[in-house]
Amino acid sequence: MIEVESLVKHFGAVRALDGVSLSVAAGEVVCLIGPSGSGKSTLLRCINFLEEPTSGVVRVNGKRVGREGTRRVSARELARTRAEIGMVFQHFYLWPHMIALENVIEGLVTVKGMGVGEAAAKGRALLEKVGLTDKMEVYPEHLSGGQRQRVAIARALAMEPRVMLFDEPTSSLDPELVGEVLRVMEQVASEGMTMVVATHEMGFARKVADRVVFLDQGKILEVGTPEEIFGRPRHERLRRFLDKVLV
Amino acid sequence: MHLDFGVAWKFLPILLQASLMTIALFVLSQVLGTAAAFFVALARMSPRAWLRRPAMAYIWVVRGTPLLLHLFFVYYAAPAFGITLDAFPAAIIAMSASAAAYNAEIIRAGLQAVHRGQLEAAYAVGMSYGQVVRRIIVPQAVRIIIPPYMGNAISHCKNSSLASVITVPELMLTAQMIYSSTYRAIEILTVTGAIYLVLTSCLSALQMYGERLTAYEQRGLGEGRRRRLRLDAPLPTMPAS
Repeated sequence: MIEVESLVKHFGAVRALDGVSLSVAAGEVVCLIGPSGSGKSTLLRCINFLEEPTSGVVRVNGKRVGREGTRRVSARELARTRAEIGMVFQHFYLWPHMIALENVIEGLVTVKGMGVGEAAAKGRALLEKVGLTDKMEVYPEHLSGGQRQRVAIARALAMEPRVMLFDEPTSSLDPELVGEVLRVMEQVASEGMTMVVATHEMGFARKVADRVVFLDQGKILEVGTPEEIFGRPRHERLRRFLDKVLV
Repeated sequence: MHLDFGVAWKFLPILLQASLMTIALFVLSQVLGTAAAFFVALARMSPRAWLRRPAMAYIWVVRGTPLLLHLFFVYYAAPAFGITLDAFPAAIIAMSASAAAYNAEIIRAGLQAVHRGQLEAAYAVGMSYGQVVRRIIVPQAVRIIIPPYMGNAISHCKNSSLASVITVPELMLTAQMIYSSTYRAIEILTVTGAIYLVLTSCLSALQMYGERLTAYEQRGLGEGRRRRLRLDAPLPTMPAS
């Protein structure tokens, strides 16, 4: 479903990604772990071309993202590809001038051209699914972090994406709000969604991931099942990282 | 001191007539200046130097020199370039140019105040640049822009009095002509000031109205929006996907 080949991304002199290759099968849940600055976010942002890779290839559902040969694809083509890739951000990025329901249906209405009534019915069902039936007409500023992130997940799901990217979805939440977001993500995973999740939640990775990828300094150091990564880490750096996060 | 507001009363119709000219000067140059300012602001934010640099230079020069000078310049210097302008169009050009420079920076501040992450979220659901500007940036920017924009508009409205120096028969020039023939400066200037105050008060009221209109989270949803979103219908029982 997602193929990443020799992806390189430089920010000036910094090599954020240094030759990353990864393939994610349909329905698979892959968790990206690693220290801050290891390239997790950059990898996700390159997959939907929010960052333009310095070199390398990204394919989603067989279609190359952002480029065709050496040329950049048209803005229209890129937008169409992005609509099939859901993204959830660390800081939610809900649109503050719209109520929760409008946030969820905005893409349906503007991108897919769906009527507001039809979109609203769909949006309400999605908000019900993420447990926010009573928050539909609330503006984001009156929602807690956990509620905002659940709206953001519903917003991404509304577009019926083929894959979902989660960029540290619980890292800016108060500890007591983390669980409600992880539960929703677990439910999405159980319905067969292809997911790539950059996270510091090792419990979630262990429980939900099919595979765990350890990134360090822009490179993939180790890939394996949660049992392999957490039970029998081979790399010294991974062992040190796990020692620190699994106290 | 003997005051005679009877004189002012007698000349009130003429002053009101002249204030129509003031309104015309202000509204026309404000509208033209704002439209131009939008494009100057976009150019000023462009990553392309050939768009950004001229926009910066324009703002620098026009904001850095007096409007009074611009008025003289357009009116008296234009004939040297083979263009002869009447006072009114000359004033409109100079005042629009000034409004464009000030409003460009106000509009730029508003556009840039919308967090980049919100734009990324919009691109991520597949919106185009135009859709992002229309649906995400402008609705939020308008709200941010209203107070400084209206403050500047009030100042611009009063500055229209400077057009009197190039003989546009607006409120200030008319007042001067009346009191220099009646010697009733205090009375005429008081009434003239009151007329300006009424005009700028309208702008203040407009600002308050605009701020209330865009205070979305305090305003409730309104009937039409509730109906369109079918918020009062029972929850659909169909599955989510």
